Amino acid sequence: MASALRAAILGHVRVPVVVANGSKLLAPLWTHRTTAVRSMSSHDDHLEKNQVIDRILDIVKSFPKVDPSKVTPEVHFQKDLGLDSLDNVEIIMAIEEEFKLEIPDKEADKIDSCALAIEYVYNHPMAS
Amino acid sequence: MSGAASYLMRRAAQKERVRILYRRALKDTLTWAVHRHLFYPDADALRERFDANKNVEDIETIDRMIADGESQYNKWRHPDPYIVPWAPGGSKFTRNPEPPSGIEIVYDYGREDH
Repeated sequence: MASALRAAILGHVRVPVVVANGSKLLAPLWTHRTTAVRSMSSHDDHLEKNQVIDRILDIVKSFPKVDPSKVTPEVHFQKDLGLDSLDNVEIIMAIEEEFKLEIPDKEADKIDSCALAIEYVYNHPMAS
Repeated sequence: MSGAASYLMRRAAQKERVRILYRRALKDTLTWAVHRHLFYPDADALRERFDANKNVEDIETIDRMIADGESQYNKWRHPDPYIVPWAPGGSKFTRNPEPPSGIEIVYDYGREDH
């Protein structure tokens, strides 16, 4: 009974899955990708330098103790923005989360300015 | 001179230890937090504990405090911390890696001409 009902319903209902999942939303994100895209691969993302700069500046600007007007790509966290070393740690952790990175402790400790962070993230093969 | 230099070196080493301890503790706090909104008060509390001893000057006291903090961190460390998927220990580590360059996948299995 139930299976007959199910078959009857499935015979008539067509759900337009592909249309609903159209590429309108995703298109801007995917246009920068290079040709060698494998969708199931563990990593197929490639970041452009200005994307990295924009996203890192956004993170630094949204840090509560930072005056957003002072933030430039060359800014030094402690000397120019008046942060302390623990704020620096928090910013680096935010950058790690944003780009899905895992930076070793000793290396993360060395990153103390926007320029270094941009350099590090841009050159990291797994940044996405 | 050498006394001052060694003092400064020891202070720099202490500062690095504190930064790394704070970094590990903060990551651990995030791992312990079940939801993101539970993480923020925990992180603030952690930061307050570090800030409370910000102005301690005596170098031996600082050493003792750092050792104490590290032992507390080790005691409460999460048994199964969050690891970024691609990193060693992560859920995607070495899974489905990119094929080496020069290898091409033919998706239509030799039926190109038909």
